[in-house]
Amino acid sequence: MKFNPIGLYTFIRQEIQRFLRVGQQTLFTPWVTALLYIFIFGEIVGRRIGNIDGVSYIDFVIPGLLMMNVMQSSFGQTSSSLYFKRFARHIEEILTAPLSYLEMIIGHLAAGILRGVIVGAGVYVLALLFTVATVSHLGLFIFYVISVSTVFSLAGLLIGIWADDFEKLALPATYIIMPLTFLGGLFNSIHMLPEKFQFFVRLNPFFYFVDGLRYSMIGVSESNRFVGAFLISTLILVLGFWVWNLFKKGYKIRT
Amino acid sequence: MDIPAIEIKNLTKRYGEKMAVNGVSLQVKKGEFFGFLGPNGAGKTTTINSITGIGKFDSGEIKVFGLDVVKDYREARRKIGLSPQEFNVDFFGTVRNVLDFYGGYFGMRKAERKERMEYLFEKLGLAPYADKQFRALSGGFKRRLMLARAMMHDPEILILDEPTAGADVELRRDLWLILDELNKQGKTIFLTTHYLEEAEKLCGRIGIIFNGKIVALESKEELIKDGKRIEDHYLHYAELERNGANV
Repeated sequence: MKFNPIGLYTFIRQEIQRFLRVGQQTLFTPWVTALLYIFIFGEIVGRRIGNIDGVSYIDFVIPGLLMMNVMQSSFGQTSSSLYFKRFARHIEEILTAPLSYLEMIIGHLAAGILRGVIVGAGVYVLALLFTVATVSHLGLFIFYVISVSTVFSLAGLLIGIWADDFEKLALPATYIIMPLTFLGGLFNSIHMLPEKFQFFVRLNPFFYFVDGLRYSMIGVSESNRFVGAFLISTLILVLGFWVWNLFKKGYKIRT
Repeated sequence: MDIPAIEIKNLTKRYGEKMAVNGVSLQVKKGEFFGFLGPNGAGKTTTINSITGIGKFDSGEIKVFGLDVVKDYREARRKIGLSPQEFNVDFFGTVRNVLDFYGGYFGMRKAERKERMEYLFEKLGLAPYADKQFRALSGGFKRRLMLARAMMHDPEILILDEPTAGADVELRRDLWLILDELNKQGKTIFLTTHYLEEAEKLCGRIGIIFNGKIVALESKEELIKDGKRIEDHYLHYAELERNGANV
């Protein structure tokens, strides 16, 4: 048999159960945090800021918050799932089963994307409490959410393989995802920054993720979206190949 | 001639400087109860890991009912059920979850899994604990679940890596009865144990491994025909090994 559909489906089911079991941490924490951001920055502070690029501040901020949560959730799903499987050794259940490397990777990705989408959908619903949260280009909206969560699910798998302890597992979220999202125009228009900083923002891939989603929602864009789409596609290919190669070698996966 | 249940040819596996398994070759026939003995670190678990897919090996060939464990891994793995030495399970999963997911990985359908789980709950006395998390089980029931998981997809071969380690008298006796019954049903059993009387009682053929090399491989009758017990032979090999003899 070339494909094990029930095996793959079971793997995804198991992954979903794993994050629902700790739903307080995996779903409610990002929703509560997002609610506070939307309320304080979007609603309270945003009223005093006025419009940016012709839209109210809250509408400007929401796509960024949504994207940040999608990225963090997808990354958190695959990194912690793979790390804990290695740590508690129940990865051996998968290794002794008739599942291919590709099925293992697809299973992890599907769960990572799904968790990103569920958390993102929750943030979107919370946003509706405060504003209309329009989606001007639904196709692009779906593209950005799915493709960026794929990038972060893949990155999460790399960290899940690399991390030898809890400390390392937590490092990327704090030192990479959070700062690059904040510096990538989550709360501010690139034009608010001094000229020389704008150059650095344009080198930050997170700027293209946030800005792309923002365009798909409110129709306002400050980045070159072709560069963004190229960047996302390249990242998926490079990270995907890297992950596939490590799984194939069994690096830190098989003894 | 029948295809062997397990056929290992010249298996080698190195961890850094240490040769964990050094040219192991052995065959286990279909329906055989094979005892794989040796001290800690001799290469038993490394050999098992190579058969089951948990570990990679450097050279050699392993076939399970003629299926190469690397090339034909999907079919080969369906033939094997492993009860590992260390608990490799989601500690927060319930007994039911563990079995249900494992069956699913092997492509079993929902109804099939349910039926098999009911059978295993009954067989291994797990029914009252079906919805308990693994971490909340006593040591004995954790062991039972490991065996149940190994049996979930009804494999032809059961590989049991020290299944009775730390088990109390009752559990050990229960496991012996179950293993004996499975063997009588035609299942091939590959057992490692430190309890040599267990091997003597259950196994039809014995392999002894020291420092990654097979030092004895024969039927139990052949091994003990001189009137000595397996333990005496084992200690004899251990002494030879300690004295650096090329056994």
